[in-house]
Parts: sequence; C-alpha cells; structure tokens
Amino acid sequence: MMSTNAKVTIEETRIQETAKHGIGKLNKSIENEYCEVKAENLNFFYGPVQALFNVTVKVQEKGVAALIGPSGCGKSTFLRVLNRMNDLIPGTRLEGKVKIHGKNIYAPNTDVVNLRKKVGMVFQHPNPFPKSIFDNIAYGPRIDGLKNKTALTEIVENSLKGAALWDEVKDRLNEPALALSGGQQQRLCIARALAVKPRILLMDEPTSAIDPIATQRIEDLVRNLCNDYTIIIVTHNMQQAARISDNTGFFLQGEMIEWGTTSNIFTNPQDKRTEDYITGRFG
Amino acid sequence: MKAEVLKQGIAVKKHKTSEWHSYELVGFWALRLTLVLVLFILGIIVFDIVSKGAGVINWEFLTQPPRVGMTEGGIFPAIVGTFYVTLITIAFAVPLGVGAAIYLNEYAVQGKFTRLVRMSVRNLAGVPSIVFGLFGMAVFVKIFGFGPSLIAAGFTLGLLTLPVTVTASEEALRTVPRAYREGSFALGATRWQVVRTVVLPRAIPGILTGTILGLARAAGETAPILATGAAFFLPHLPDSIRSQFMALPYHLFIMSTQHHAISQVRPIAYGTALILLVLVCLLNLAAVLLRKRYRERVAKGL
Repeated sequence: MMSTNAKVTIEETRIQETAKHGIGKLNKSIENEYCEVKAENLNFFYGPVQALFNVTVKVQEKGVAALIGPSGCGKSTFLRVLNRMNDLIPGTRLEGKVKIHGKNIYAPNTDVVNLRKKVGMVFQHPNPFPKSIFDNIAYGPRIDGLKNKTALTEIVENSLKGAALWDEVKDRLNEPALALSGGQQQRLCIARALAVKPRILLMDEPTSAIDPIATQRIEDLVRNLCNDYTIIIVTHNMQQAARISDNTGFFLQGEMIEWGTTSNIFTNPQDKRTEDYITGRFG
Repeated sequence: MKAEVLKQGIAVKKHKTSEWHSYELVGFWALRLTLVLVLFILGIIVFDIVSKGAGVINWEFLTQPPRVGMTEGGIFPAIVGTFYVTLITIAFAVPLGVGAAIYLNEYAVQGKFTRLVRMSVRNLAGVPSIVFGLFGMAVFVKIFGFGPSLIAAGFTLGLLTLPVTVTASEEALRTVPRAYREGSFALGATRWQVVRTVVLPRAIPGILTGTILGLARAAGETAPILATGAAFFLPHLPDSIRSQFMALPYHLFIMSTQHHAISQVRPIAYGTALILLVLVCLLNLAAVLLRKRYRERVAKGL
C-alpha cells in the first residue's frame, strides 16, 4: 500500500487533502456531528488518581488548537489520550468517548498502530533516534514495509522540506541526527512525524526545551503546517498560544474550563478562572 | 559581644575541620592499604601461575594431546573441549536469556509476578555450581538421556550463566531511554517493531558484554561439567555433541589432585592454569573492547 502512496508527493497529497477538506466542510454544514477530534465526557485515571474530569471538546479540521493551563492540569494527559500513548502507562483507565474522524478510538476493535499513523506526535524534548538523519525520517515508512530506496528518498526529501529543514541538512543526510542543534532536532522530529502522512499532529510543548530563535522557526512552521494538518499543541507559554493558535482550551485541575477561539479566550474570557490565568494572577 | 560570638563560632568550626581532616587522612590510608592488599594478592596469584606455567608453553603444548599417561604432551583436546562446550553454552543461554529479558522488560505487565520471576532469577545466581552440576546430571544426562556429553555439559553451564545473561540483558534494555520507545510508538510501530528497531540496537552491546562476562565465568567452572560430560582423558577429539570431552578446568583439577604422578605433572598443571587464565582474560578483554566501542558509538550518536 505504501509503495503506491509513496509515489504521490506531498504536494499532490496536499491537493487531494484540500479537495477532501472542501467536502469535509460541506459535510460539516449538513451534519454537525462530524469533527476531526471530539471528546465527550472524558474521564481519565492514573490508577486511583483522576487526571481528567468530564472533558468535552470538539476540534475542527485544520488550523491550530492550543491547550493552555498550569503544570499538572491535565493538558498533556489529554493530548496523549488522542493517540493512545497513555496505553503504555500501566494502570491507566478511561471513561467516556474520544472520536477521531467520527470513530471512537477507544472502541475495542481499534487498531492502535493505525491510529498512531494518522495521529502523529512531537514531544517536549526532541527525541531523534540515534540513527542518521535519513534513517530517522525513513523510520516510519520503513516500519510500514516500504523498502524502495527511491520512494524513501523522495519521502525523506519532502518531509524535510515540509518541516523547513531540508536546506540545512540536504548535504549531510547520513550524519547522525543527534549532531544537529536542539531546534533542528525538533524540526527533524516534526519531519519524522510528517513522513508517516498523518492527518493530525499532536505537539506536547514542542518549544519548551529550545532557544527563542529556534522557537520562532517552529512557530512559523506550525502556522504553515496547519494549512494541511490539524495541529493540537500543548504549551506553557500563553503568548505562544496567542500567536499561533486559532482555538484555545484552558485546562485547570483536570477540567477544561473554557474552549473557544483564541481571540475570544484572550480578550473576552467567559470564566473568571480563565481570566485570572491569562492575566497572570496565577500559574 | 556579637563579634566575640562570631569569633568563637569560627574557632569551633576550625577545630572541627582539623579533626575531620585527620580522620579523613586515616580513612584514606586505610582504604589505600586495602587496595594495595588486593592488588598484592592478585599479583601473587598471577606471578605464581605465569612464572611456573610459562616454561611449558610452546607450540606442542597447545597443539598435541597428552601422552605417556598424561605426563607429557600438550593440552590440545582440553582447549578444543572448552571451546566447544562454550559454544553450546552460548547457543543455549543467549537466546533463552535475552528472550526472557525482552519478555520481562518489554512485554510483561510489571507486578508481583514479574518481581517474583526477577527475584528467582537473581537467586539462581547464588546457587552453588556443584548443585547445577548435579541438576544437569539428573536432568540432561539421565532424564533427557543425553548421557555424559558436550550438550549435557553445555546446557548445564548455560543454566549457570542464565541469571547473569538475564540480569545483564534487562539492565541493558532498561538503559534505553523512554523517549526512543515513545518516539517509535508514536510513529505507529508495533511493540515488536519498537523492540527490534530501536530498543535492541541500543541494548545489544550491553547484552553482549554481560553475556561474555557470564561465559568467562562458565568457561572456568569445573563442578558443573564434572558429572555431565568432562572426561579424565580421551585419545581423540569429540566428534559430536553427544561425545564426552576434555576441558581446561577439569584437566587442571586432575593434573593437580588426581594424577598418579602429581609432582611430575605439576608444570603441566601450571601451564593449563595459565592457558585458562589467558582465555578468561581474553573474554573479559573482548567485553571491555566491546563496551568501549559502544561508548564511542553513543558519543557519535549512531
């Protein structure tokens, strides 16, 4: 399956996706229920400790959704619910429904491996594998069974271009990824996620471990990528949320206090607690 | 008033510091002494073996079988036997030990049961080797019907190294950063793909070093092979895994305690000890080199 897909360049995919996008919009006007990501009455537990309380949220296709809130408020937990990364932690439990593209991803017959291919993730600390730049990007397609060298080369190039890293690394694709700077490593991780052709990208404080200039490049990149992908980003930095997101959700002690367009949340918050947080009264 | 209190404080502090200083000096010298003692004992053992054993070692000693009631000739069959039995130990212990470690560390749900398994494996390391030997005789020689043979002895030595292999492999697997695993899972890898493509490449050097150290111990063991296949003397080399064999540690044991002309064969015993020592040192050296290469690779990020 991959080998035929692989011949389709990212540009072509984009055109296809835009076409799909249009249809998606049409569908949405007919049927309000369909959204990219939807959580309903979501409760989440680490053993006996409840981390999320009754979270209900709808994220529309494309664009950037930011999740803000103080440390330990559950925003990362929520993010990791969406690609079932929390499955890896023993003793976790979930109640409620999480639907992605209309399908409950916690239904018993869900193919988690496939889900994670559709819902990519970028972590707080850049975590390239101790392999070459090329092998890092080709990792996803390879575990998917793609062996064709030309197809792989093409995917690597397109993914690196997609992550605005190609010009910096095109002459040293065989060098270790860990020799890159922190900011470059993070863009490499974004490229690595893009290589699997996801629909949704989850970003867990992707800029908290890198310097301001590299942060700006990532923010620009996120703004670019959100034309093709739905991006959900967790951030500690409220200015960052204000700069790059279309919608913002505010988490506090495991509850989603408020969800709305970023301009509304920041200029006209409905909840007192949201206002207190964004005006810097706590957190 | 205030200044005086301060002064007193400083004086007290000074006094204490110098007292501690002399304590520390005594402590350091005591520690140095223990180190010197350890090195001294090691030095004596090595010097004794090398000085008395080096004389008999020549090409013939390494390549000829014993002759004239084992009072002359070489130890070639014992070297070959130890080599063969070590190969069988590897073939038995490595897949089993590494497999068990992968399951324990990557697949099993961590809980009471895995803790119990781990504890048992670790306690296995404390079982005296003669117990392994008798167990091997009962199970591999008798019940499995291998008879006294290379395979029975190899399996017994394999059991002996299993705790080391499992523990070392688990340590190595555990040092692979969680971030690599998560990164791989997030790209849609199955658990086995994560293990095969990210975890194992990173852990293999550690697994190998641990395993080699375990083998080095097994290669020098006498008790486990005593009742499972090692022979007093064989005129020919083992021709199948069902054959009995001569082995360096057992040969050494015979030459130093069981031979009818002990004083006459003493140099041969020392020579055998030296070869065994060199063999074990070579294995340890291999482990050290492997670890060094691994560190360099990690530093380069590949």
